[in-house]
Amino acid sequence: MFTLTNCLILAGIIFAAGVWGVIARRNVLIMLISIELMLNAVNLVFASFARTHAGLAQPPQAHAGETGQLFALFVIAVAAAEAAVGLAIILTIFRNRATVDTDDMQTLKQ
Amino acid sequence: MMAKLPDIIFLVSALVCVASAVAIVSRKNPVYSVVYMLPLFLGMTTIFVLLQATFLAAVQMIVYGGAILVLFLFVLMLINLKPEELRDDFSLVPRVLTTLGAAMLAGVIAVFARRGSTDGLHHAFARDVDAAFGSVGSLATPLFKELVVPFELASVLIVVAIVGAVLLAKKKV
Repeated sequence: MFTLTNCLILAGIIFAAGVWGVIARRNVLIMLISIELMLNAVNLVFASFARTHAGLAQPPQAHAGETGQLFALFVIAVAAAEAAVGLAIILTIFRNRATVDTDDMQTLKQ
Repeated sequence: MMAKLPDIIFLVSALVCVASAVAIVSRKNPVYSVVYMLPLFLGMTTIFVLLQATFLAAVQMIVYGGAILVLFLFVLMLINLKPEELRDDFSLVPRVLTTLGAAMLAGVIAVFARRGSTDGLHHAFARDVDAAFGSVGSLATPLFKELVVPFELASVLIVVAIVGAVLLAKKKV
């Protein structure tokens, strides 16, 4: 049950939920949360493959497992920065237009 | 008994994760989406501990559960929502999911504290690893030897993000 394949399937389901949230929802906040969901699913994939390749110590990849986990750490750092800037943008839009609905943001279309 | 335990923990955590992920993208009210983020992060952290990514699990809980979740809640407070949207859910499901996720996380942490590693918790993965894998020490060596430049660039990115967020969210210049 607890295998690499099942970890990847779980990550795929969570990623798909995030994609659906970005595409189908109209609320900007939920779209931002869905992006966090997708980044989290990627972290799970990184951690699973890091565990699979742990202890693999061929010269070109001396720390194969550790490098995978470090990539996930970098993803977390980027996700935190993205959430801060994204929420600030949402706040600015809400202050100017009093809406968080993407259907009401059509300035570039007209 | 010990061979069965990781499967059960993984299954429950995976179900918690999937249920809260579906709930996050399907709720009408964003407050409930943010509330459902907590069981998702708890389940994720549990699976990270099972995968012996212990430092990653700690960072995940601190950054996502501690910082990003609260940031979303703060912004939700600043954005006025229509009151009629507040009644489209009953609040039992997030509580049950959060309790389940927290119980799983507490379980793996208890095992980890007793045995010093989660070895034996992940028999299904092909290769056995030493107990130090995933700890701060084992991650620090490659981070400061091979990935020093990305590490410093990440700090620059975070500084830029902080300045940008403050500039954007400031009321009037």
